[in-house]
Amino acid sequence: MAFNILVADDSETMRAVIKKTVSMSGVPVGEFHEAANGKEALAILAETWIDVILSDINMPEMGGMELLKKISEDEDLRKIPLIFITTEASDARKEEAQKHGVAGYVKKPFQPETIKAILYDVLEKAYEHRLEENPGEETGEESDF
Amino acid sequence: MDENLRRVIFETFSEVFETMFFTFLEPLEEAPGKGELGCGRFIEATISYSGGSNGNFLFYFPWELAKNITVNFLGVDEDEVRDGQLKDTAAETANMAIGSLLGKLDPGGKASLAIPQARLLAEFSPETLFGETGLCMFGTEFGILWVVGTHA
Repeated sequence: MAFNILVADDSETMRAVIKKTVSMSGVPVGEFHEAANGKEALAILAETWIDVILSDINMPEMGGMELLKKISEDEDLRKIPLIFITTEASDARKEEAQKHGVAGYVKKPFQPETIKAILYDVLEKAYEHRLEENPGEETGEESDF
Repeated sequence: MDENLRRVIFETFSEVFETMFFTFLEPLEEAPGKGELGCGRFIEATISYSGGSNGNFLFYFPWELAKNITVNFLGVDEDEVRDGQLKDTAAETANMAIGSLLGKLDPGGKASLAIPQARLLAEFSPETLFGETGLCMFGTEFGILWVVGTHA
């Protein structure tokens, strides 16, 4: 089973680095989708099945915190886990993110192992969610998730 | 800029450069001689924050340093690197460095970072930075990283 991953960051370079990190982590990826801000991310979420979102906080037009709030208010989207990958690592930001249901928090600069560990943890839950939504997808094969 | 802030800046920037770019910084106490300034092409990245604390930082990356950190960051060959990637990496470096610094200077998270900006400077002389009270210099294998910052 492969997962569709949405990477939201206004830096094209950072999106490339995150995609590379995820690809090298061994997580089975179906499709990568990219957004440069929260608005673009929401547009993608409206059209595409996404299993997990990796998002920056500090982005133009719509930042990651507003994206998280909008997702948490939406009946269909709230089950999609969102992981922040951000320089903004103050306790106040983390608490605000937790209040709105963030699934993980990675501080930049990051070690690839940190992203891998959080992603595996979060995708276990996403896998269960996906099976609940799409019971026909279960293959009976052994899965890491 | 007081010595304690300079020490925190050095520790924070070192962590960012070592973790993300495998690049080691060495703080320079004195300005180098004219022959070692490394005039020429630079990338300037700027980022500010406001709220509980206010500050503004300008980073001046010599071309070779900008290219090296971009190569390390993206894992691409040197001849594949585009100017846009150099600017993007410089902006992201400023974002990571000052975001991490702010986490230490403003642990309550009252201040908010602005979006970092970067531009190419075809001909720049670091000598123009001499006299800036917030000037910090860091030696690297690929030239001197010049940073001018204010924090209040």
